[in-house]
Amino acid sequence: MNFNSHNSMDRTGTGEDTLRLLAGLPAPEGLEARVHASLRTAPRQARVLAWPLVLRADAAWVRATAAAAIVMVVAGGGWGIYSKVQPLQQGKLPAVPARVSAPSGFSGAGMVSTPKTIEGPVVTAPPKSTPAKSVQKKSRKRSAASSVRTAPSAPASK
Amino acid sequence: MMSTSQAICVGWMEFEDTAAANAVRLQAEEAALAGLVDQYAGALYRVAFSVLRNAADAEDAVQEAFLRVLRHRDQLNEVRDHRVWLIRIVWNIVLDRKRRAKTRPETDDVSELARVLPSNGLSAEQVASAAQHHAQVLACVEQLPAKEREVLMLSAFEELSSVEIASVLGITESSVRSRLFRARNLMGGMLNHVRGNAREVEPSGRREETVAAAEEDRR
Repeated sequence: MNFNSHNSMDRTGTGEDTLRLLAGLPAPEGLEARVHASLRTAPRQARVLAWPLVLRADAAWVRATAAAAIVMVVAGGGWGIYSKVQPLQQGKLPAVPARVSAPSGFSGAGMVSTPKTIEGPVVTAPPKSTPAKSVQKKSRKRSAASSVRTAPSAPASK
Repeated sequence: MMSTSQAICVGWMEFEDTAAANAVRLQAEEAALAGLVDQYAGALYRVAFSVLRNAADAEDAVQEAFLRVLRHRDQLNEVRDHRVWLIRIVWNIVLDRKRRAKTRPETDDVSELARVLPSNGLSAEQVASAAQHHAQVLACVEQLPAKEREVLMLSAFEELSSVEIASVLGITESSVRSRLFRARNLMGGMLNHVRGNAREVEPSGRREETVAAAEEDRR
């Protein structure tokens, strides 16, 4: 390979001529037309709210009206909530009897007297029911059978 | 009461005027954007191609850059130098694409380089030799540190001054100069090393293939 030809191509010896060649390559034909076409079909700027009209600087009264309306709505809503949820009134509290101090001069030590209530119904104890005779017979037979089973084991212990 | 209705009427008339003014403003912005496309699309393509080295990707990058401009077209009046601003946009796009893409650039292939790069008045062998040289240079450029590589690649655009390169990269002009100095030193060292190795081992088979490809391309 003839490296002298490289040196003649690369005058600086740093390869910058190659980069200049690359940088000087012409753009393909019709590039501008293709870019124009892509710009025409591209979606416009996306907006969350598409306002039909853009306010001008001298239309300040519209802004003031809108701000006043917002303040009215917020204040009205707050007043509505406040008027519905009111603090408990004094008359609706349950009545508590006043404590009476003992006549002897001693304090009641925090004792609370309970009012006498109406006496409730008195429930009598239910009568003891006698078991049926058939049940008694069965239990006797069972006890006899168990004594027979345990009998043979007695001599073994001797 | 009368005065209120008049005020509202005046207000709505003001709205109509505003809508008409907006329509006129939109038309003016779109006309300005079209002018930018006509004026700078080629330059942006060359910037994109120098990094991506792939024609289709470079064209996509240019289109994406102008789509970004379209989205922010209301800021066009605030831009002082449209050319540098656009190059900065496309530069960021191509760097981002190159970072994400794992594919090899199209022109890493020597025969592809021989096809793409101009070769007026050169024989087939000279074209093949030049293509191999360019491939070596580009391989060395890829090995440079990112900061030095970016400055070196932008400095290849003769229409960009060091101040404009600094503006594109968001650094100072002195940083551009020092990075360019380092990049040139590194490139010189790497190319000398590559040439020394190539003298020892010359891949003749590959060169013949490149010469054949160059001849075919000439036909």
